[in-house]
Amino acid sequence: MSGAPGAAGFAAKLLAFLRRDFLEALTYRFTFVSSLVGILMSSATFYFVAKLVPPGARSLEAYGGDYFSFAVVGIAFSSLLGIFQEGLPSVIRGAQVAGTLEALLVTRTSVPAILLGSSLYSLLFQALRTGLHIGLAAAVFGLAFGRVNGPGFLAVLALTALCFLSIGVLSASFILVYKSGNPFGWVFGSVSGLLGGVVFPVSLLPDWIRWVSALLPVTHALNGMRKSLLASAPFADILPSVLALAAFNAVLLPLSLVAFRLALRKAKKDGTLTHY
Amino acid sequence: MTDAPAILAEDLVKRYPVFGGFREIVRRPFRRPTTTALDGLSLKVARGRAFCLLGPNGAGKTTLIKVLTTLVLPDGGRAFVNGHDVVRRPGPVKDAVGYAINDERSFYWRLTGRQNLAFFGSLVGLRGAGRDAKIGEVLKLTGLEAAADMRFNAYSTGMRQMLAFARALLTDADLLFVDEPTRSLDPLAADKVRSFLRHELVDGRGKTVFWATHDLAEAASVAHEIAVIDRGRIKLQGAPRALADRAGATMREIYERALAAGNGKDPRRETSVTPEGEGS
Repeated sequence: MSGAPGAAGFAAKLLAFLRRDFLEALTYRFTFVSSLVGILMSSATFYFVAKLVPPGARSLEAYGGDYFSFAVVGIAFSSLLGIFQEGLPSVIRGAQVAGTLEALLVTRTSVPAILLGSSLYSLLFQALRTGLHIGLAAAVFGLAFGRVNGPGFLAVLALTALCFLSIGVLSASFILVYKSGNPFGWVFGSVSGLLGGVVFPVSLLPDWIRWVSALLPVTHALNGMRKSLLASAPFADILPSVLALAAFNAVLLPLSLVAFRLALRKAKKDGTLTHY
Repeated sequence: MTDAPAILAEDLVKRYPVFGGFREIVRRPFRRPTTTALDGLSLKVARGRAFCLLGPNGAGKTTLIKVLTTLVLPDGGRAFVNGHDVVRRPGPVKDAVGYAINDERSFYWRLTGRQNLAFFGSLVGLRGAGRDAKIGEVLKLTGLEAAADMRFNAYSTGMRQMLAFARALLTDADLLFVDEPTRSLDPLAADKVRSFLRHELVDGRGKTVFWATHDLAEAASVAHEIAVIDRGRIKLQGAPRALADRAGATMREIYERALAAGNGKDPRRETSVTPEGEGS
């Protein structure tokens, strides 16, 4: 009983994971409400903090000049990228700890399908949350969009998603073998929060550390997103971000796939696939 | 492949890495201590039988099941399930086996029994009306129809065990692996499980049940054939009554003799690195 072959079977299994997580989420009734309240509180905080920053500050010129819009786009999308990056290792760790991983692995379901399927709901939920965050910030607090460069934004978003999924696969590989302590999450999570330009422009950083920002995918991702959403930038202005993200993908994507294959084999060989 | 035995294992070897202590890491940083779980194990199980694997804790029972269900890769030897190599052809092996994992944590506690089965049914390739029909069938078979729409966290231990069987039966597998299925069940629930596995599945449906257990009386009452495993090797195999008649002994005596046979060594299984001060 191998099920529907190829892409149809793969998609059906992803849908099964999505349905499972949706049904589980329904049993936690206040998650969505508390999420909405959190979004409103965060937006309100930055709305008032933004009043401290004079409109048209030089460091914000490249992004439309409004700090509130700058911060909301940074926070909303860095949360989404965090899920791309942390979703896969969380799935592995969660299934190891909960004890469900073995039951999943004895079915004829590939490990990539288990990983992607198990993180799909949280990805979609966070994408919805990001959309709501931006939408509420625009409707309630007057987030200032520029002339949105849709194709540019989508190109940056797609490359960013692939890049952060690759980091997620690298993290998942680490968790498969070492079970805990994820250095990729630390480097690309904590460090990115400080040096990636999430709530302030990287141009404010001292020269001696600013070069680190250029090595973080989040810097280029948020740069491209802000320019395409807030600054009415033509594609030529977004191109450097697109090229930087493409370069990250050229390295991280193959590296993550090889790392995952090796980690999975090692875990099956050591008999520790389901340990935590 | 239809004439192939349900299980054929030849010289299976499995070693697990172990933590040898900080002193060992300093002394030999590039050497990985291991412990041997399967030590050249060979075994053949015919189809349509209730087969009980007996052995002390740490004898290799669960490791053998995990190798045969493709969850762990062996370090040496070969194993076949219904003629399919467990290393080279894990896909057909997964189709051929059901593994009734008796760890209650392997279910989603906030979902109902039926929702759990629907999820795992989708993972084994069942779709739509066919899946629903199959779920109805296994729920009826395991006596869980009335509890199907209760959340798993409200199930009793016995019901959880039966749901594990229901899940394993979703694939229509010929071969079912069960690892200590009556552990932590009350006597009546344990009898129900034994009867279900032997009479319903083996006698009624012609399935092979590979049953790991510590319970000698259970093995004697349900098995067509038993094997005793110790230190990763099969020490004895045969039909319980024939073994007892031949030896003129009880099951317990047969078991103890099997474990004692060839045990001139330290009862702890060897590791490739011996901790200092413990000798070899």
